[in-house]
Amino acid sequence: MTELLQNLIDGLGRGSIYALLALGVAVVFGVMHLLNFAHGELITVSGYATFWAMAAGWSWYLTVPLIVVVSVATSLAIERVAFSRVRGADDFTLLLTSFGVHFVVSAIFLLYVSASVKTFPRPGWVTNTYALGSLRVEVFDTVVIGVTVVTLLATTLLLQRTMFGLALRAAAADFDTARLMGVRSNSVIRGAFALSGLLAGIASVFWLMRAGSISPSAGINPMLKGVLAALVGGLGSLRGAVLGGLALGLAEVLLRSRLPDSVASLTEGVVFLLIALLFIFRPQGIVTVTHAERV
Amino acid sequence: MFPDLRRDVVFPIAGSVILFTLVVASGLVYQSQFGGVGERLITMALIDAIIVLGMQVFIGNTGILSFGHIGFGAIAGYAFAVSAISPVEKMKRIPDAPFGLTDVNVDPLLAVLIALAATLVVALVVGLGLARSGAESGAVSATVITLALLFVTHEVARNWPAVTGGDRAGLSFRIGGTLNGRVAIYVALFLAILVARLYAQSRGGRLAVAAREDDLAARAMGVNPLVQQMVALLISVAIVSVGASLRVYEKGSILPGDFFFNLTLVTLVMLIVGGRRSVSGALLGVAVITAGRELARRLGQDGFEMFGVGLDGAPLDWIFRENLKTVFLGVSMLGFMIWRPSGLLDDWELDEWLHAKFRRSRESPPASPQVVEPDDSASLVASGVDVAFGGFQALTGVGIEAARSEVVGIIGPNGAGKTTLLNVITGLVESDSGRISLGDTDLTTAPSFKIARSGLVRTFQNLRLFASLTVRENVEVSYLVAASHRRHRSPCDVDGLIAAAGLWAHRDRRARELDYGTSRRLELARAAATAPAFLLLDEPTSGMSDSESLQMIEQVRQMAGLVGAGVVVIDHDLNFIIGICDRIYCLDCGQVIAHGTPEEIQADPVVQAAYIGSTAEG
Repeated sequence: MTELLQNLIDGLGRGSIYALLALGVAVVFGVMHLLNFAHGELITVSGYATFWAMAAGWSWYLTVPLIVVVSVATSLAIERVAFSRVRGADDFTLLLTSFGVHFVVSAIFLLYVSASVKTFPRPGWVTNTYALGSLRVEVFDTVVIGVTVVTLLATTLLLQRTMFGLALRAAAADFDTARLMGVRSNSVIRGAFALSGLLAGIASVFWLMRAGSISPSAGINPMLKGVLAALVGGLGSLRGAVLGGLALGLAEVLLRSRLPDSVASLTEGVVFLLIALLFIFRPQGIVTVTHAERV
Repeated sequence: MFPDLRRDVVFPIAGSVILFTLVVASGLVYQSQFGGVGERLITMALIDAIIVLGMQVFIGNTGILSFGHIGFGAIAGYAFAVSAISPVEKMKRIPDAPFGLTDVNVDPLLAVLIALAATLVVALVVGLGLARSGAESGAVSATVITLALLFVTHEVARNWPAVTGGDRAGLSFRIGGTLNGRVAIYVALFLAILVARLYAQSRGGRLAVAAREDDLAARAMGVNPLVQQMVALLISVAIVSVGASLRVYEKGSILPGDFFFNLTLVTLVMLIVGGRRSVSGALLGVAVITAGRELARRLGQDGFEMFGVGLDGAPLDWIFRENLKTVFLGVSMLGFMIWRPSGLLDDWELDEWLHAKFRRSRESPPASPQVVEPDDSASLVASGVDVAFGGFQALTGVGIEAARSEVVGIIGPNGAGKTTLLNVITGLVESDSGRISLGDTDLTTAPSFKIARSGLVRTFQNLRLFASLTVRENVEVSYLVAASHRRHRSPCDVDGLIAAAGLWAHRDRRARELDYGTSRRLELARAAATAPAFLLLDEPTSGMSDSESLQMIEQVRQMAGLVGAGVVVIDHDLNFIIGICDRIYCLDCGQVIAHGTPEEIQADPVVQAAYIGSTAEG
């Protein structure tokens, strides 16, 4: 029982980061029908910003806002340079465009920094734990879960209570109709990318604090987690993306602790396999989004 | 199998020989200029070409982006290595391999076959998953599954050292491995080109392409996209496995990283730069990217000195850096997606171009085919159809009947439920209750492609042609379906039908280039070519002028007559409906409010109130 609770807390901590990433993926998918394989590059770019800031003697207090700002700016820049040029293109083009962005960004760091891993100091409290009954809870996980809850509440308010949120939800439901109703496509798409960058920025802070290092290919893993979680949750559903992220985090932690030692190193592989099975038996993901095509 | 032997078999074989010769010759010219380094580069490029051709078969014909083919390559590569490496070498790396794999000792050729078989089994399973998810939520989730496959194979390769030798050591042939000469590569490359071309021209390839162009329309013509995508996947994976085995053999070793992101990026860039929908394009892409990458590598290494020009402190030093070739790949992919997503050649194919050049001049349109007498045995009956969308009751207890010898019209104001009824009959919308049958066959719950094969074929209100196929190819898709699923009917004469529809002059034009009226005629001809029992037409005159609609009456009668089909037609245009129909049903608010002959309907006060009155037409 204790172990299960322990897993649950660890899994929620991990899953919270995935949920933030997945939500960013889902927001962009909603307005552009673009599954953003470049989402992880927001972490790569802000990771290098962190590395340089730390090298210049910045503290984490200063670096955290920097990470968020860099992430939002990068998200907007990528939209401007690449995605704005393929709006309305077919799925194939959109997917490969985002894949191309992914490779160009990591290749630029490969070209101008180096392939080697750069490390920076992690904040001291990342590994601290405290006792909660018979559980050992990481301070870090507590912070992550707390910040994620606040972020999700704020995002919900933004989506439910503001004109921008209404426009974004309308665009996600039916982009063409939303445009005819006076939603400005430019601003809603840019807004979606900014929001996606903001969510990725927050996730990025935690990701980097825990990793304490960055390399040109560091974006692959978070990208994959975000994309898979969004898909598991049901593409196009924001609530689904959050649920998908949490489910993915829990599944990873549970599998790692429950699988026999001989195959524990295959956790990631098993998770991918489970996701593939989920798709075979419930192809539409956890939350169903219906897309009716008029014929 | 192949609609036209000369165009679909003879020319592709000749084209494959020419393409193969061009590739081999350009490779030989290149290596004669650059010696040993060039030789190795070309060898690897030839192997890459095989893998890229394999990917082309699936990605090009189905239009589904796959990141997983290199994952299949990894499976094949390891299966090949584990089978072909001598037990002595295996004792060093994987002494404890399960299933007695350490002692396996087979000839490399047999090892390729083992790799092929193993990979095909995995492909079959993955393909089922792809099919299920693709059917429900479209190509995007299929793509993500392929990406997951790539990562699963990589993770397994890294973390199952008992078989794969793990992340560091890998598996290696040491002595006695590696290809001796290029004969095996040449043979495999030629076969890959040939298979890719023949598949694209075959029935399977054409149906897969139809589904790529318009999934819904393909289903409505009787194509089951899932089957065709599975066939494409298996052929494609087979080619990739051979390429991957050769790659391992040539390198003499395999590590998990060999078949992962980098190779995926390289091969995908090759495919899309050349043109994913064309075999010639795939090969061109391999050549262009191999050359570009090599140039970028050397520029990154030596700057302009490689041209013998020493520019000290050259202004371009900031770009000629070590990893330039990776940037080159990323930028190529991004650039092509933004500015030329269909690649250099799009769907241009060498043998098709040659065929068009050397066509025997049968330029006069063929005579119209014989009229087929409809047999009145099987009539179409829909009864008690209820459909609700959420809280909106679209159809309530609707029933219609139509015999093969008549033209039945369905009229009604906008929102009356006409198209919904047609969608229910053709299996695109599920009814809540009711029954659809054709003769003795119950079609109530059949999927749309089965309904089409049973003889109910429709057209669409908003035109759904296979846009990048030619007029002739559009009609051939239906012909191919009919030839295998409607054998009891004599196959239609494709050329005759095209001529009869007034499309002869347009037969080699792409559907997307046609004007509106011609497109409508093509849709009608395409539906007729399935030799249906009934043609179901959804607003065939929408957007047409009065004189065009009157011509359409003749068109519909003629097409239906040529294939002996009954007609059920929905339209707003009263003149058209009254001119063409033997009987008319009038729908309003999801219910049949009247039915009878055109005269009766015109005279019916209920109809006048509901329909004519409310739309102020007629």
